[in-house]
Amino acid sequence: MYIPDYYEFGCPVNIVAGHDSLEKTADILAVPGSSQPMLLTDKGVRQAGLADIVLDAVKDRLDIKCVEDGVPPDSDLKVVRQLAQLYNQKGCDSIIAVGGGSVLDTAKGINMLVSEKTDDLMQFTGAGALKRKLRPLIAVPTTAGTGSEVTIAAVIADHEKNRKMIFGSHFLLPDAALIDSRMTLTLPAHIRAATAMDAMAHAVEACVMLSKNPLSDAHAKEAIRRIMKHLLPLIAEPENKEGRLSLALAAALAGIAFSNSLVGMVHALGHSVGSVCHVPHGNCMAILLSYGLEYNFHKTEERIADILFSLAGPEIYAKTPKSQPAQKSIDCIRKLNRDLFQATKGLHATCLKDLKDREQHPMVPKEKLPEIAQTALGDGMVFYNPEDVDYEDWLMVLEAAWEGVPLDRTKVRKG
Amino acid sequence: MEGFIEIRPRRRFFLRLYLHIMLRVLGRAIQAAARVDEDVKKEFNAMPENYTFSLGAFPAGPCMIIGKDTQGIVRYMGSDMEKQPVHLKITLKSVRHFFSLLTFTESTPVSNARNRMIVSGDVPYACAAVRIMDIVQVYLLPRWMAKMAIKRYPRWTFKRHTVDRAKVLIRTLLGF
Ligand SMILES: [Fe+2]
Repeated sequence: MYIPDYYEFGCPVNIVAGHDSLEKTADILAVPGSSQPMLLTDKGVRQAGLADIVLDAVKDRLDIKCVEDGVPPDSDLKVVRQLAQLYNQKGCDSIIAVGGGSVLDTAKGINMLVSEKTDDLMQFTGAGALKRKLRPLIAVPTTAGTGSEVTIAAVIADHEKNRKMIFGSHFLLPDAALIDSRMTLTLPAHIRAATAMDAMAHAVEACVMLSKNPLSDAHAKEAIRRIMKHLLPLIAEPENKEGRLSLALAAALAGIAFSNSLVGMVHALGHSVGSVCHVPHGNCMAILLSYGLEYNFHKTEERIADILFSLAGPEIYAKTPKSQPAQKSIDCIRKLNRDLFQATKGLHATCLKDLKDREQHPMVPKEKLPEIAQTALGDGMVFYNPEDVDYEDWLMVLEAAWEGVPLDRTKVRKG
Repeated sequence: MEGFIEIRPRRRFFLRLYLHIMLRVLGRAIQAAARVDEDVKKEFNAMPENYTFSLGAFPAGPCMIIGKDTQGIVRYMGSDMEKQPVHLKITLKSVRHFFSLLTFTESTPVSNARNRMIVSGDVPYACAAVRIMDIVQVYLLPRWMAKMAIKRYPRWTFKRHTVDRAKVLIRTLLGF
């Protein structure tokens, strides 16, 4: 069993989970002395009535200064700047962010600007650039996936440069994460599938990549087990509130795991596919995860084998021949994708060429692969990848993922 | 204040001396490789004019600065952080961690994975800086040592391993 010589682990986020956890909001904000939050969300969440559930739960005790639903699905520096101005104009003293990854990351961006009293976000990019605690922020996730409610990272696009900026700091952790099963009831099936695969990618990468440690492993494996157990049944029967809570918890567990051990090439490549072709993050993760494992296979076979028990359960684990558990883990992930494809009636793509936008146009034309590979060269997550990845390597992985064929492991260059 | 004993930080003279020498060698080698090696050239070409980056230890440990001057020529710029703005800083959290890194007892990826480094600045250029340092380490170090420092020992052409390496080493030695 792998135990690193040195590792760090922490999760200072107060997690409140349940079927009525939103009612705790005012109590949590009372601790730092806030009572005039901005409620930040997006149009989809608001239309689904989720913002109203939150408002209902807090209206007697908090003075909500503004409800802002202008966060686009792919939020960028400009949006963050505008919303930060609004926060200041309305005299808010905290943020309640209700939404998926984009809303939560935007909230973190706003919080950096208003707390540091600046309008230049770029000075905080990279790891560890923030130096002090920010203003109160409460995260209410409405997808079970990004884990942004418990992570030290925020990813915000810079549309002018076609790049995703990554911010990493312990000060970006929200003060509390409210996980409430009501928030994921109306999630469309294909979004539930894609966001859960993002959580899966966090958990699996946390177990395989360079900063893995025993504590993040424990969280990640429990996340994997819950996703395998609840995701497919929930697609068929979203009314099951225990299942929903369990999956939302899995996303938080996976988020805690990857916040402490970081992710590798799957995310590096996923960010690049996302920023070049505007593919939702979860879809990128679902498709790319198995390829990241295949690429690192020669360096991490034991680690990949180690997650089979959580992925497949005791029976399949026991039946798998001693020489094949790592390959079996990869097969399990591919099978889950195919099952989700079936369950969502084809909306969950299993390869890059099948990704379609609303007008049914392909989202990732093959000509874009070189640009994606070039962008991936500038993504910091590759630092945590066990094997080195250069331009040709990225292109090789992309081509396989585009076609949806397994990576030819003999072609992976080994030192 | 009778009996007050002032505790001074140990200077760790030889450790610092080693770091100074290594940084000077590394700095000059990067400058040399930027003249000789096509891949290193390409990485620097992608950086903006006057771009500088540093490798150092917290809080005021030894460091080195590399950057492009106004003509776009890559230069080793010594260690004075006040003399010019530094756009990208790779800082090890302590001198001891820096020592582990530069004695190759802890590889760059492992050092990073163990959260020993603070990177402030543009991440894409940080990636480029790490790639540059990887290539330079392959030039400077014998194969078995380089293998400890980087993730994957590259498959270079015979010319790159011999002629180009000789050029880089001579330039490093003479400092041009
Ligand atoms: Fe993710």
